[in-house]
Amino acid sequence: MLRNLIRQEILGHLMSARFLAAVVITLLLVVANAVVLLEDYEQRLARYNHQENVHRQKIQEAKTYSFLKLFVERPPNPLSVFSSGLDKRLGSTFEIYHGSVPMISSGSARGLENPFLNLFTKIDLVLIFQVVLSLMALLFAYDAISGDWESGTLRLVISHPVRRGSILFAKYIGAMLCLLLPVLMSLILVLILLSLNSTIYLSGENFLRIGGIVLTTSTYLSVFYLIGLVVSTITRRTATSLMICMFLWVALVLVYPNWSRFSINPVGDTSAERSSTNQQVEQIWEEVDREERQFIANSPLEGESPRFNLSYSDWSSSWGDRRRQINAKVQKESEPLVPHLQKYNETMETLYIRLAEQTALIRKKNLDNTSLRKATWDERLMKLSPAGLYTFATSAWAGTDLEGMSDFVRAVQDYRRTTINYLHDKKAFGSRQWFASDQGTVDWWDLPQFRFAPANAWENATRALPELLLLLLTNLALFTVIFLFFTKIEV
Amino acid sequence: MIWHIIKRELFDHINSLRFILTFLILSALMVTNAVVHLQTHQDRVRDYSEDVTNTSNELKSRTQLYSLAEKGPGRLYKRPSSLSFIADGGEAYLPRRTYNEGSWSKSGIGGRVKSNWWLSYGSVNPDAKDFRPQATKIDWVFIITYLLSFIPLLFTFDALSGEREQGTLRLCLANPISRPTLLIGKFLGTLITVLIPFIFAVLLNLAVISTDSWTQLSGADWGRLGLILLIATSYAGIFIGLGLMVSAGTREPRVSLVILLLIWVATVVFMPSTLGILSTKWMTPVQTDDQFDASKDAALRQISTDFDDRMQTIKEKKSPNLLSMSELEKLFETSPEEAMAAARKMQEAWETEGDEEMALKAEYINKDVEIRERFNRQHLDAQIAQVQRARDITRFSPAAIVQYALESMAGTGFNRHLQFLEHVHRYIKQFREFIVETDRADIQSRHLIGIPKGMSEKPIASEAIPEFEDKVTFSDTFNTATLDLLLLVLLLGVFLSGAFIVFLRAEV
Repeated sequence: MLRNLIRQEILGHLMSARFLAAVVITLLLVVANAVVLLEDYEQRLARYNHQENVHRQKIQEAKTYSFLKLFVERPPNPLSVFSSGLDKRLGSTFEIYHGSVPMISSGSARGLENPFLNLFTKIDLVLIFQVVLSLMALLFAYDAISGDWESGTLRLVISHPVRRGSILFAKYIGAMLCLLLPVLMSLILVLILLSLNSTIYLSGENFLRIGGIVLTTSTYLSVFYLIGLVVSTITRRTATSLMICMFLWVALVLVYPNWSRFSINPVGDTSAERSSTNQQVEQIWEEVDREERQFIANSPLEGESPRFNLSYSDWSSSWGDRRRQINAKVQKESEPLVPHLQKYNETMETLYIRLAEQTALIRKKNLDNTSLRKATWDERLMKLSPAGLYTFATSAWAGTDLEGMSDFVRAVQDYRRTTINYLHDKKAFGSRQWFASDQGTVDWWDLPQFRFAPANAWENATRALPELLLLLLTNLALFTVIFLFFTKIEV
Repeated sequence: MIWHIIKRELFDHINSLRFILTFLILSALMVTNAVVHLQTHQDRVRDYSEDVTNTSNELKSRTQLYSLAEKGPGRLYKRPSSLSFIADGGEAYLPRRTYNEGSWSKSGIGGRVKSNWWLSYGSVNPDAKDFRPQATKIDWVFIITYLLSFIPLLFTFDALSGEREQGTLRLCLANPISRPTLLIGKFLGTLITVLIPFIFAVLLNLAVISTDSWTQLSGADWGRLGLILLIATSYAGIFIGLGLMVSAGTREPRVSLVILLLIWVATVVFMPSTLGILSTKWMTPVQTDDQFDASKDAALRQISTDFDDRMQTIKEKKSPNLLSMSELEKLFETSPEEAMAAARKMQEAWETEGDEEMALKAEYINKDVEIRERFNRQHLDAQIAQVQRARDITRFSPAAIVQYALESMAGTGFNRHLQFLEHVHRYIKQFREFIVETDRADIQSRHLIGIPKGMSEKPIASEAIPEFEDKVTFSDTFNTATLDLLLLVLLLGVFLSGAFIVFLRAEV
């Protein structure tokens, strides 16, 4: 009997005009956007490879240790096609320098071809499911009970020896299968487009993640279908239930996520916090000046650093804030002073490293209290709507969420430590090659390479779990409500 | 008769649940919009006036004509619109001022040469450091484009198909009512029903905003508001026409609803951004920053070596048999004394500056500014052209048309940015003319703009320096919006006549 009911439901949906329209529109939107998104990904990949080459060349150009300009590039995530998250937005070039610890906010996004194109909002495939299919779920549900009730078929069905629970269950299963069909079809289309494209390669783990996204999509759609069923059971009139469903949809999917971000500023003004952090950092750096003066007082070096009283036959340098890059040739008469200069460099650079870690702690605290706190609060508020839960769950699966970005920054920070160890091993800070290339340039052949492995699919799953569980709980709650109403309903 | 139909439609709608829900959602959003505007607008206006005063003070503190040419007019700021609550226009993605890229100096043959100020546009990419989830601003554009299209569909999807199903349509047409009359009655009835809650919400919004002393609406602003209401009305009319058309063409209201909603999702939610991004993929790409820098640097190097060569010939002509650098170095190794003497002679020749050298320097500096500005301008123009084309293509969606029209009306967004740039260019021209004119008035000056010794050294009156004014006139906004307004009216006509044709051919 149950199987009959389900079959009837499925057939009813499949033959309906709304199903056809839903499939056509979803597929059209998915294909049009997938083409754009895949091309966009390819471009980003090409730019990533180009930048990598540029960075590698920059290493080779460095003749002295101090001239090393080391950059790391964040590779684009292929799953950003599904959920773009922060992947396209945040700056992707990080500089590795022993005197400063890279933070999530220190990535730079140079090389954007046309910054005005940011005016067009970015779209990913998940957004299409989020908007179109939730609407479809409600359109499938709004007359599921009330329509049958109005037309009298409900009474007819219940007069058979079927439990009311199984009627509900049959309706649910039938509609969900029909809703998942466009999802799966568009997934297949995207995978076909992907396979036509030779530059994009998806690993096995990525298929697991896509599976996770599909799972989240189905729980999300089920929430909307159940909302529709609740409304349909309570109102008993199709016209009323339709209007309530439509306005609920507008409120939950279109309005609330934008509204919460627009109107609520849960953290408030953080400019005071920011300026106090800057002051603290300034104070720490004053220590450098003190130690520098002290060192120079106890050493035969005189004059302005970094030239001091040595004479050079060739001098080229580049300055950044507190950063000195020097490539010089020392003249013979200054040779006795060179060991002192080496000692000076070693002291100062190791001091920079120590203080960089100290300021990093302060900067991290500031970041946690300002930008990151704002971001997490915005997330929490948005998650009050199932649409928000869905967005964040899918970006957690894809690894394009804040955590995924932090993973990369942690890898960059580790890499900075590796390069510092490398420089220590080579005794680079106190070497002559730190500032002079007259006795041979630096050979970078054994400079450690940067490696970044994104979190595995299991880790992504645990990150998406809270949102997924919340979605499931909403499902459960809605289902109980319907069940209670439906068993009591008079036919 | 038509009044009768309108009245009946109106009463039917006003008693319905959808009317109450429309009322609630529109009012809630409009109030939110106003409240957030009150909180943020004050800072915006204050920042702007502070920035402008700083620029103007700095400008007035310059008394030398040369320092005006060297340092330029300072940062020029875009005036924030007092109607920014109507359309945000992606202000965060548009630079709010002009930038100063810096300066350079070069020493060599002919002594030191120092650059003059040049105009650069800068670019902003706030997303690169923003971890907060992205969201659209709830401005009038959001409310109008999303809700004033969605709600008309909910009011019209069953207007004809529903009545046909119930049989009331047949009953109605059995009376001496022509079909066009019925359709127009339905159209106007629905339009008024939709406009009542909208106008109420708008008034609520304006009431809240008028409590703010920082937002002062001028007479022209009220004119703009009137036009905005007109745009909103015709936009809602388009979707009512669409709703009636589909409703007349389908048998069941359920089917017409699904068709309408899917058309709506595609055109309103996705088309404005998808079409824009999609179209740029098939355009010739704009130069990347690296390519742009490379081509600019090549041109600059060209004039730099050109300058060196010409300066060298001048010097050689004036004091022949000067040694070249490499020869001098060689001489140092053989006889240092002789080399020192030669070097001293060389320095002397370099430092004595005649009219010819000065003219060359001035020419070089002006050419440098010209090249930099030309390259910046070309790069900007290419970017702008790309966005313009993408925007033209998105105009397939009425939502995009309304967005652009409202942006022009509110004085925000991309077109406003172009106006700002135009004002900047006009001002820069005026500023440079002022320098030339003032210099010409002084007979003692050598009239070589760009170098300290070539320009008038008389102190200049600070009031005489032209000041930048970024004022948008009503005709400006109207000119940019004309195309969009025309398109809207055209679409309204198309959908209304479509509804007519379908309804006339429909069987009852």
